[in-house]
Amino acid sequence: MRIHPMIYGGLVVLVFFGIIFGFQAAGVWSVSGKNDATGKAIQPSANDVETIKGWMTLEQITSVYQVSLQDLLATFDLPADTAPDTAIKDLESDTFDTTLLKEWLTGGSETEVPIETPQPITIDSQVTVVPTEHTAPDRKVTGSTTFQNLIDWGLEKKVIEQILGAQMPDAATVVKDFATAQGLEFSIIKTRLQAEVDQ
Amino acid sequence: MAVYKIPNPEKRMLPRAHYWKAYINHRVLRRVIQIGVLAFIVFIAAQHVIVGEDGAAATASAEAFCPFGGLETLFKYISTDGSFVSHTHLSNLVLFAAVMAVAFFFRSAFCGWICPLGFIQDLFSNLGKVLQKRVPGVRRMFASLKQRGARLAVLDRYLRYLKYLVLVWAVGGSAYFGFMVFRDVDPWSALLSVAEFSFTPGVVVLLVTLVASFFIERPWCRYACPLGAVSGLVGKFSPTYLKRDADTCISCKLCTKACPMGLKVDTMNTIKSVDCVSCLECVSVCPREGALQVKFGVPFN
Repeated sequence: MRIHPMIYGGLVVLVFFGIIFGFQAAGVWSVSGKNDATGKAIQPSANDVETIKGWMTLEQITSVYQVSLQDLLATFDLPADTAPDTAIKDLESDTFDTTLLKEWLTGGSETEVPIETPQPITIDSQVTVVPTEHTAPDRKVTGSTTFQNLIDWGLEKKVIEQILGAQMPDAATVVKDFATAQGLEFSIIKTRLQAEVDQ
Repeated sequence: MAVYKIPNPEKRMLPRAHYWKAYINHRVLRRVIQIGVLAFIVFIAAQHVIVGEDGAAATASAEAFCPFGGLETLFKYISTDGSFVSHTHLSNLVLFAAVMAVAFFFRSAFCGWICPLGFIQDLFSNLGKVLQKRVPGVRRMFASLKQRGARLAVLDRYLRYLKYLVLVWAVGGSAYFGFMVFRDVDPWSALLSVAEFSFTPGVVVLLVTLVASFFIERPWCRYACPLGAVSGLVGKFSPTYLKRDADTCISCKLCTKACPMGLKVDTMNTIKSVDCVSCLECVSVCPREGALQVKFGVPFN
């Protein structure tokens, strides 16, 4: 069957833009990481620092991760009068960027404001971990999950140590605190532990 | 002794259109579409630079309208249940789906009819042709360079496979590392970032592409475009193709000369090459009615 070149061109445009407009009409369209497909503003997740983006403001970070703006500014040598609605990427320097902020939030924000401050437990000669009191959601590994929680959920000490690649510390120690102190990637450990818990 | 083919007297030459009718053809339609798409991208890029991302009226980056970004983020989107590699969004996936649908039905018509980077290369090639026509010095220089570079023409066939390596590297790298490894060398990304004065290797690739466009038509599309590579492969399953009627054809080779992808149209009976961008330039220059036709039929037949 022969197709006229003009009709051919028209069909190309029709199919291409028809599909785009079709998806848009169905709500499957987003041109910014700031909004999801439904147009709802995307927020950083308290459970995962990897959701932090450069366009997010200091205000979003301080409210979601429960850290004070003053602490954040002081830690990264940022001007004390920095407005809370300033985007992270607008403040980027040698001492501050999204990666450094993620590292700080992973390692610093939770351990700095414990409910109680008991005696530190020495794990080895180099690392000390401060056990903190937390309550974790049932069978969900989060930043507040302790090793005791994992044992209560049926995980064997041997399996936990296999995932950590190290000796398990005191059962009251928060997994995230231990991982941070050991220089381990908490998000990877969390995923593996969650997989074992779910089995 | 040269052998001339006697045209079939039953087949007539195409009548020449006059006045406004001369502008109602697929060549003009193609340019209008290309200009429209390029204008839209320029508007988006300018708006993004001027308005920025702050405030309630957040503007989209022009990168959000790159179909190849959709392919780069596809693996992460599927494997992580909906997250994207940086600089890509749902729009990239939708555009990629649209390009693949066009490729499936009309081969690489996206490259020939819509892609702004292809259009920019066309502009530079046409500028080169105009300069050669108008300025004798430039004409002599081009003739000299073409003569010297003629022996490199043998590389053309092999360099065309380069785009598949680029495709594997760009898609595989994004899947493995979780970020767009191709972005820094992507000339399209570099062009969109011109207003932000960011100098990346992509700027060098862009400049090389534009300079090369004076000598070879669509160099990026021919040798390095990963989107064109995947589009061409999907187009293999397309039911549309170009048919050359050997009885009607007078072997004037105008079609081969007009092909921006350097395909030898005059020696093929059906043009189903993965490199064909379906621009239909060959059809528009063909002086014989029915010698080159767009056909709809069974793939692989």
